[in-house]
Amino acid sequence: MVAVVPKEEYRFDDEYPIFKLTEDKAKRFKKMMSLDRHRIAPPGVCASDLCQHGLQQLLNEGMLKKEEIGALVFVSQTPDYTMPPTSNVIQGKLGLGREMICLDINQGCSGFLLGLIQAFLLLDIAALPKVVLLNGDTCSKQTDRCNRISYPLTGDAGSVTIIERCEAENPIYVDVKNDGSRYRAIMIPAGRYRMPSTPETLKLREVEEGVVQSLEHVHMDGAAIFNFTMEDVPPQIDEILAFSGDTRDSIEQFLFHQPNPFILKQMADKMKIPSAKLPNNIVSLYGNCSSVTIPLNIALNCGEQLLREKRRVCLSGYGVGLSWISMVMDLGPLAANKIVDYEST
Amino acid sequence: MDKIKFYEQLSEILDVEQVKPEDVLKDFEAWDSLAILSVLAMADLKYGVSIKAEEIRSVVTAADLASMVEAKQK
Repeated sequence: MVAVVPKEEYRFDDEYPIFKLTEDKAKRFKKMMSLDRHRIAPPGVCASDLCQHGLQQLLNEGMLKKEEIGALVFVSQTPDYTMPPTSNVIQGKLGLGREMICLDINQGCSGFLLGLIQAFLLLDIAALPKVVLLNGDTCSKQTDRCNRISYPLTGDAGSVTIIERCEAENPIYVDVKNDGSRYRAIMIPAGRYRMPSTPETLKLREVEEGVVQSLEHVHMDGAAIFNFTMEDVPPQIDEILAFSGDTRDSIEQFLFHQPNPFILKQMADKMKIPSAKLPNNIVSLYGNCSSVTIPLNIALNCGEQLLREKRRVCLSGYGVGLSWISMVMDLGPLAANKIVDYEST
Repeated sequence: MDKIKFYEQLSEILDVEQVKPEDVLKDFEAWDSLAILSVLAMADLKYGVSIKAEEIRSVVTAADLASMVEAKQK
C-alpha cells in the first residue's frame, strides 16, 4: 500500500483569518477539533494524479509489473470527468495492457472497504492475478475556501492498494450496511443531472455565520450525521466482533475512517475502545480525505510494524450514502506501507 | 437530572460564565452548528439520550433543552 498526499501543507493558525473568525472562536474550534494542518492539492491537480503518482512509484520500485494488473478499481467522488471513467484515463496514461478491467466506483467514507470487497470479488470470480485499488479524493474542491467549518477539516489524498491471493487460509470478516433513505444527510445537491449547473447553483450563500456554500458544495446535516455515527456504527462493530469471534482485547488495532477528531473520540468512548488502540490523528495532520483516511491511517500508524508482522485489525468506514462497512482481518506483513508526497510540476 | 449541573455543562459549551434557564440559545454568540454537535454529544454520553436534528432546531431556551433531555431519560 502507498498513500499519496499533495506537498502543499497549510496550518490552521495561518489560515483562520480567511474564515473571518475571531481569535477566541478560532481557539475554541481548534481545541474542539484538534485542528493543526492539512494537505490541499493545488488547482489543476486531481485525485487521479495523486493515485497515478503512487501507482507509478510502485511500478518503478518493482513492487508490481504492468502485466500483472488484472483490474484497476478507482473509488472517488472527485473523478476527472463525468465520462469516461477515470480508471480508463489512468490506464491510458500509464500505458497498461488491454487485457484488464477498468472500473470506477462512486463512494466516499466507506469507499476503501467497498473497494476491497470489489477487489476480493474480482480475485475470486475473475481469477485475476492482481487487483489495483485506487482511492482518491480532492475534497477541498467540494467546499468553499471561506467555509469556516468544513474547509479546515478537509484534506486531499490518494492511495494505491495492491491485492492478491495468498496460499494460507486467512478469512476476512465483512459486514456491509446501507441506508439510502438518509441520502440527503451528506450530499452535493447540484452540478449533475438532477439539478444541472447554472449561475444560480454556483451562487454562494451564508447558511450560518461564516459558513458559506453553493449548491455545488458538500452539504452536511451535522446533527443527523452525529446520530448516525453514534447509533448505527457502534452496533456494527459489536456485530462484526461477534461474527469473527473477536473481542476488544483480541483486536490489536481499530483503524477507522476519521471524519473529525471530535466525532471519532465520542464514538471510541461510546464503544469503550481505548484511545491507544484507535488512532485519531489523520484529520489534525492531513484533513479528512474521504475514503483515503483508512489507508493513510494504516500507513501513518502501523507503517513500519506491518512491514514486519501481521496485526489483527478491525477496519470501519462510514458516511455518505449513508453507508457503513466494517471488516476484521489479519493484516500484513505488507510489502510496502508508506506515505509519499506529490509535487505538481 | 441535576439541572444546575446541566446548565453548567451548557455554559462550558457556549463559553460563557453562566447560562440561565430563560436564556434563548440562538442569542449566544457561540451557538452554532459546532455547539449543537457538542450538545448532542453531551446528551448522548452524559445523559444517555439521543436528540434528533429536527428536535434540536425546535428548541428555543436553555430550559426547553433541559426539559427535553429530562423527558427523554424517562
